Amino acid sequence: MKINQVMDIAIKAGKILLTNGSEIYRVEDTIGRICRSYGVDAECFVLPTGIFITVIGKDGEPLSYVKRINERTVDLSCIEKVNSFSRSLQRNTMSYEEAINTLDSIEKEKGFKFALRLLVAGITAFVYTLLFKGTIQDSIASFFIGMLIYFSKEKIARAGIFRFFEHFASGLIAAGMSIVAVKLFSGLNIYRIIISSIMILLPGVAITNALKDALHGDIVSSQFGIAEAVFIVVSVSAGVAIILSFGLGWI
Amino acid sequence: MEEIVLAFIASVCPGIMYNVTRRNLLWVGISGMLGWITYAWILEVTGNVVFSSFLGAIIVGLYSESVARILKAPAMVFSIPGIFPLVPGIAIYNSTQYISENKLLEAANTGIQAIACSAAIAFGILLVSAVFRLLKRSTKKETA
Repeated sequence: MKINQVMDIAIKAGKILLTNGSEIYRVEDTIGRICRSYGVDAECFVLPTGIFITVIGKDGEPLSYVKRINERTVDLSCIEKVNSFSRSLQRNTMSYEEAINTLDSIEKEKGFKFALRLLVAGITAFVYTLLFKGTIQDSIASFFIGMLIYFSKEKIARAGIFRFFEHFASGLIAAGMSIVAVKLFSGLNIYRIIISSIMILLPGVAITNALKDALHGDIVSSQFGIAEAVFIVVSVSAGVAIILSFGLGWI
Repeated sequence: MEEIVLAFIASVCPGIMYNVTRRNLLWVGISGMLGWITYAWILEVTGNVVFSSFLGAIIVGLYSESVARILKAPAMVFSIPGIFPLVPGIAIYNSTQYISENKLLEAANTGIQAIACSAAIAFGILLVSAVFRLLKRSTKKETA
């Protein structure tokens, strides 16, 4: 197999991992593992926003490949599949077409339907209200608000206005809708409704990945993750705080 | 008992949102359940939120690293939805609310609590995965 084909496979696997919220060290490991299993010695450097690979070709000429990553979501099943794909390459290598097709099918896979995820977002808010010792009425209110937040967050993220705007808007919606709910049905606890509906926005993935990267010595990427987490929390709470500043007097 | 079931659902649901494969969902739920049981139990005994979050995260970390080895999946599949119930949403919200009510002292109080809790959770996960890496390295040396 040609060296640039190996790099193609490695870059594609790395891109899938990075866009689906993997840790940085896992991307570097996977790229290295794929290249080694084809007998290619590669040096790679991965940032949360891009992948760089350089290989010394047979005639001693260096070949390099840069891939810019713009979108970042979280899809744990993609990470799991690419991980087992790279491990299976180690045991027996595939042809170029076969490998690219496998990666394509991993990338294209839809996973759970949007309607189901929407429903689940509502159930999450419902369950968290109960877990924080709210009443059933509170939970029903946060069920609808949680669904609304997830819906608007996904739609705004798809529209791609700018990063973190979706979190800010979700914070606004969470607080605004909770105030409306409390105004309509007296006896609800606004505090529990807002907390449980913003639970799905909090940056668990960013923080955990950042610390794991720090453990593997990748301080640059871990700073990125921590900064991302802080930005998310600040934008959600800015949204909530703006509405609360106006709304608490109104209730 | 009721809370245990709730904690189970509370980590399966984020699991579905993060697209965990179907055969792993059950294990994801157990991860969150164990974390929450530890958290709630330690909180009742000691009354220290930060310490309870830390121990809860350690249990989630231990569980997910071991299950990851059995099921041959990355540990993050189990640990990320598993720590979901431990995330200090209440403290973050309280801090925001105090800021909007212009009670800055209380806001700083709860804000620091939120930061301490998240640091404790992250550090718990980190500690466990460090120990597991160390173990892996030492077993590799023995076999090699």
